[in-house]
Amino acid sequence: MPGIQISNLKFSYASAGGFRMHIPRLDIAAGECVAIVGPSGSGKTTLLNLVAGTFVPRSGEINVAGRRLDNMTETARRRFRIDQVGQVFQAFELLEYLSVSENILLPRLIDPDGKKNFDAQQRIQSLLTSVGLQDKADKRPGELSHGERQRVAVCRAMFNRPQLLLADEPTGNLDQANKQKVVELLIRQAREHDSMLLMVTHDHSMLDTFERVIDFVELVNIDPGAGQPARVEIR
Amino acid sequence: MTGAFFLGWRYLRFHRFKSLVLLASVTLMIFLPTATRLFVADSATALTARAQATPLLLGERGGELELVLNALYFHAEQPPALPYSALDDIEDSGLANGIPLYTRFRTRGAPIVGTSLDYFEFRNLQLASGRLMGLLGEAVVGANVAREQGVGPGDHLVSSPETVFDLAGVYPLKMQVVGVLARSGSPDDDAVFVDVRTAWVIQGLGHGHEDLAGGGSSASVLSRNEGTITANAALKQFNEITAENIQDFHFHGDTSGFPLSAIIIVPPNDKSATLLRGRYQNHESGYQVLVPGDVLDDLLETVFTIQNYVILGLMMLSLATIAVVTLVFLLSQQLRRGEFMTLKRMGASRGFVATLIASEIGFVLLGSLALSALMSWVTRHYATEFLLSLVTL
Amino acid sequence: MKRLAILLFLILLGACEEQHTSGPIQGDHASKPQVLTSNYPLYYFASEIAGDVVDVQMPDIDDDPAMWIPGASDIPQLQAADLIVINGAGYESWLAFTSLDTDRLLDTTEVIQDLLLPIANATLHQHGPEGEHSHQATAFTTWLDPHIAAEQARAIERGLSALVPAQSKAFKSRLALLEKRLDELDRSFERQFLNIKDQPLIFSHPVYQYLQKRYGLNARSVHWEPDTEPGVKEWLDFQNLLREYPAKLMVWEAPPLPSVVERLQEQGIQSIVFEPAGNRLVTGDYFAVMNANLKRLSAVY
Repeated sequence: MPGIQISNLKFSYASAGGFRMHIPRLDIAAGECVAIVGPSGSGKTTLLNLVAGTFVPRSGEINVAGRRLDNMTETARRRFRIDQVGQVFQAFELLEYLSVSENILLPRLIDPDGKKNFDAQQRIQSLLTSVGLQDKADKRPGELSHGERQRVAVCRAMFNRPQLLLADEPTGNLDQANKQKVVELLIRQAREHDSMLLMVTHDHSMLDTFERVIDFVELVNIDPGAGQPARVEIR
Repeated sequence: MTGAFFLGWRYLRFHRFKSLVLLASVTLMIFLPTATRLFVADSATALTARAQATPLLLGERGGELELVLNALYFHAEQPPALPYSALDDIEDSGLANGIPLYTRFRTRGAPIVGTSLDYFEFRNLQLASGRLMGLLGEAVVGANVAREQGVGPGDHLVSSPETVFDLAGVYPLKMQVVGVLARSGSPDDDAVFVDVRTAWVIQGLGHGHEDLAGGGSSASVLSRNEGTITANAALKQFNEITAENIQDFHFHGDTSGFPLSAIIIVPPNDKSATLLRGRYQNHESGYQVLVPGDVLDDLLETVFTIQNYVILGLMMLSLATIAVVTLVFLLSQQLRRGEFMTLKRMGASRGFVATLIASEIGFVLLGSLALSALMSWVTRHYATEFLLSLVTL
Repeated sequence: MKRLAILLFLILLGACEEQHTSGPIQGDHASKPQVLTSNYPLYYFASEIAGDVVDVQMPDIDDDPAMWIPGASDIPQLQAADLIVINGAGYESWLAFTSLDTDRLLDTTEVIQDLLLPIANATLHQHGPEGEHSHQATAFTTWLDPHIAAEQARAIERGLSALVPAQSKAFKSRLALLEKRLDELDRSFERQFLNIKDQPLIFSHPVYQYLQKRYGLNARSVHWEPDTEPGVKEWLDFQNLLREYPAKLMVWEAPPLPSVVERLQEQGIQSIVFEPAGNRLVTGDYFAVMNANLKRLSAVY
């Protein structure tokens, strides 16, 4: 089944007495654009990592785009992640030593055996054109403005035509005008590719744009005695 | 994993300065001890090659190393002079041939080697142009001399005066260059060769029948003095042996007493060599017969010992360099943690990130190895000549 | 990247230096070994003995080879020779200032030092067109004594056989022929000189010492040139000489001036020419010259 289905998900970090998370149920339809809000440290990023297959739950089921993630091998999860999940990180995380094109190409550089059924250069070109950066293909991130870097990050996330687009506080450092643009860009890209969009945000001014908003606190049962989650190391 | 290599290469290129500094440090770290070893080994080989090729050396009683350095490398320091009669003694013994050497004089820093034609065959020297000397006053120059002083067949060289104000002293002699030797990669490249009798003329042991002060056709070219004859003698700039005065040249006194620096002895076999050495063991003349190879071996012992200390020192330095370079890499990795995190989150395997890190180190190492190999090759090529030129000074 | 490659290429290029050599030093072999002789008699003997096997040469000399001074242009020929045949006995004054490969030098009178004659002090010098010149300490026209000439020929054969051992037998047989002819020449001279034995002779120039010794001639030398008129002093000294030495015959190296011949004849002295044949001749070979000398001798008596 397409979309996301989570049932009875329990997650905690290795260290004892640390962060714990329990999501009884979450369903997201294919192609749905969802905003997730909640206090910081509540585990929103952890949720994104779980649906991306970066983290593995202690128990429960996660199905994303017809694949069951909770019992996949690490290699399979990684492959799944590159092929099917596009990620826009909080601080864009572009590699400063690569050009714009090369940054967008990064998913293929990481896993060349992955999705190969399209011409990379053409894809890059069309993505850049769609965000109005076709002339900046050979520039380095250092030469771009904040907003332009954001757009490149989005292109990179969309390179492999993922079925799931995850955005973790993508508007964090932008001014109001750019924030709007970015959110609209994300939604537009998601719709164009028929992808789901999960965007974690603090910014309530953006919420109107979304068809669905999830309040994370309502979503989870957080262990009241937990305290702040430890910094996550991805295994 | 080619993606990881690509990223690694890109990273190095982007941080050009840092990469070059690392490259330079590691290269030097590898190169310096290697080059020292190679340099010393090659120089030792070259030095010993020349010494090995010289079977025996006869000289006046005195310092052994001095004799060898002067006779083989034309070192400026002169051993005590040997009379020419010593050469006759060798020839008369029937045991070996002798090649005279008289290296007292210089021309613009290049040693003038007074010898016989046998020397060229002995050292296997080829001509690049012109011919060997045939007449008194003619000279054949080594390849480097020809290049540095811009002389070739048809040009002239003037020997350097020893005492400027000594009337009876060594006058400069204007010599005709008749040939240029091909490069041999030995001290012969830096020398000017003349007949030993020409060297004696430089010394003032021979002169023309027509007295120099008589203002003959030849020798007044450098300065035209219309003064009196006595004044001419005092102001005489140089001698020249020409077709006009050559037949009048003769030597005062018995030439058997005339000086040589050394005699190269070429025995036809080991037996003759041994016989000769034995003969001169406690000879009444006091002359010494040396095996240049043995004398140099002693010298080289010292050089190798010094080399070992130098390398030890360099190793210490290398350790320090390794420590610093490692620190740089570790810091670099720390700085890039975010980047690695991003990659992993995007789906890169541990192996990918490890390859990425390794490639940063790997490219620098490979580059250093390649660069130090190239530098070592260049060193080898030029080291020998460089060292020999140092010895000749 | 490209620039780096070019740089590397240039380094390598600089490192590989081409050696241009004009070949090994000395002894540039043409097709045949080259033998150089310092005067005509040696040239003749060497040619006779060697035949076709080697290339025998003599430098281009205008005057007396005994006075020849090689110049820079002669050196290549000297250096190219595989064997340099010299008279020795001081004939080649140029040995003092030339550099030669001593291995290739053949001194034809080296082994007969005991037969060489020291020169008496030259009595009269004349300032001829050549200017003042002095003589060597040893007489060097050795070949005029056919016995010594034969010794020199034998030395030449030894040298040639060492140069081309394969032809040694041929050399030896040709040497034997030459020796025979020299022997015949010697006997002919002996016969002729017997006719004038003990008669006082005057040699115009002190170059006949070996002739004198060999045939026991009673002779004195003056120091006159055939192409120069003796001066007053010379004639006066000559008169003095005649007083204690009443010669009837004067031997010249070359045809003297007719005026001198006439004046001598007035004094009862006949002039004949005895060519020492030091230099290459216009016509005739060595034996032709010697036979002509012989003929002129026989015509006197």
